[in-house]
Amino acid sequence: MKKTEVSFTVNGETHKVNVETNALLLNVLRDDLGLTGPKYGCGTGQCGGCTVLVNGEPVLSCLTLAVAVDRADIVTIEGLSKPDGSLDLIQEAFLDHGAIQCGFCTPGMVILAKDLLKRKAHPSETEIREHIVGNICRCTGYVSIVKAIKSCRKKP
Amino acid sequence: MEGVFSEKTGKGIAVNTRILTTEFKYFVPRTLREALRLIDQNGPNARVIAGGTDLLVQMKLEVISPDCLINIMKIPELNFIKMEKDSLRIGATAKWSEILEFCSRDRKHAALYEAVRSLGKVQVRHMGTIGGNLCSASPAADSAPALLVYNGRVKLVRARGERILPLDKYFKGVNETVKTAQELMTEIRIPSIRNGLGSAFKKLTRVGTDISKISCAVAIVRKGRVCVSCRVAMGAVAPVPMRMRGAEELMDGEKVEASLVEEMGHRISAEIKPITDIRSTAEYRRQVAVVLFKDVFWMAWKRAGGEE
Repeated sequence: MKKTEVSFTVNGETHKVNVETNALLLNVLRDDLGLTGPKYGCGTGQCGGCTVLVNGEPVLSCLTLAVAVDRADIVTIEGLSKPDGSLDLIQEAFLDHGAIQCGFCTPGMVILAKDLLKRKAHPSETEIREHIVGNICRCTGYVSIVKAIKSCRKKP
Repeated sequence: MEGVFSEKTGKGIAVNTRILTTEFKYFVPRTLREALRLIDQNGPNARVIAGGTDLLVQMKLEVISPDCLINIMKIPELNFIKMEKDSLRIGATAKWSEILEFCSRDRKHAALYEAVRSLGKVQVRHMGTIGGNLCSASPAADSAPALLVYNGRVKLVRARGERILPLDKYFKGVNETVKTAQELMTEIRIPSIRNGLGSAFKKLTRVGTDISKISCAVAIVRKGRVCVSCRVAMGAVAPVPMRMRGAEELMDGEKVEASLVEEMGHRISAEIKPITDIRSTAEYRRQVAVVLFKDVFWMAWKRAGGEE
């Protein structure tokens, strides 16, 4: 199949990749760019493990065509740490609260937490739970995940 | 590989949902005119794609294998939400997140707001569009009951000509509508909400982000204890989302009593044509329809009276 060139920024870096029209963003990120943070869980939009930010909005990269994000600004979990390699506040909080068990859902959860806290500095526990409702943690470590996100809230 | 339940065949099938195996041509028109030309040129096996949250899943499951995708998300003419004098106009590619934001500011379209809120998954709200929801035409389409009780209309445009039709004349069957392959849905119109109209929507699901087992929307115009008009629509209870006209007639112009609301619920239970599937049995749907309707009715009733 004929390939199309698409260019987008991922975690601040511009990339040009040749993709087939049926290439999915998740696979381009993982296989072409080596960013294995976003995970393939279900492939049908049920688990949220593949969540990345596209133009500042959380989307499912397993249901996004790579050709559809031409010129977009993409952020994956790899883009959250600071240039010196130190972790983002939310990542630190996940470590501190034991919110990571097998770690498979963590990239999606952290990206969503980042999105929520950007929109709302002091979300209620209900708002936190509602925001991550579409992301499945198969270890069922939700309580610690919610605690970790709560700890990142700005003081009201 | 992964075992996935196919809604179409009703069987578990093994498919690799990591990749899309279908090969297709891909176009990104920038104007409506260009999109219509591409639709005409590429024939019936071309599909229009918006958010892709449904279409790409169907393609992964190999339920459909279009040879051409026309992405309409880069057409500014289709992405708008405008409050005009006599109607609210929503462009077909308005995303759920955009509609939610509009509804929370405008505060008049409670049923639509609740329908969008019920789409639990934040990511899907940022991807999926109202036009896509109506074009997929699932009997459980979340936006449909609310749009039905608002007397919503859809605009279908083809290269030569266009038509606007009421939503209850639009759905034809499971995933089937009267829209032809040459037509593109461009907008949804909701007649202005008159003062004193109260509406509500509720659905029942297994888990937070599931497709509904059954859904209901009610819109009421009220004068004191009298119900001037009552419109009811149900989802996931028949091949198409539908208005409950028989039940509506019972209430129009009547003084509202709990017994009458109960009677309406039973009329609805008789009027619907539910099936048994993985989400519920037909029998359960018939029974719970009464309870769900009563809940939604009283929410809408309170709102119509300014009590909430």
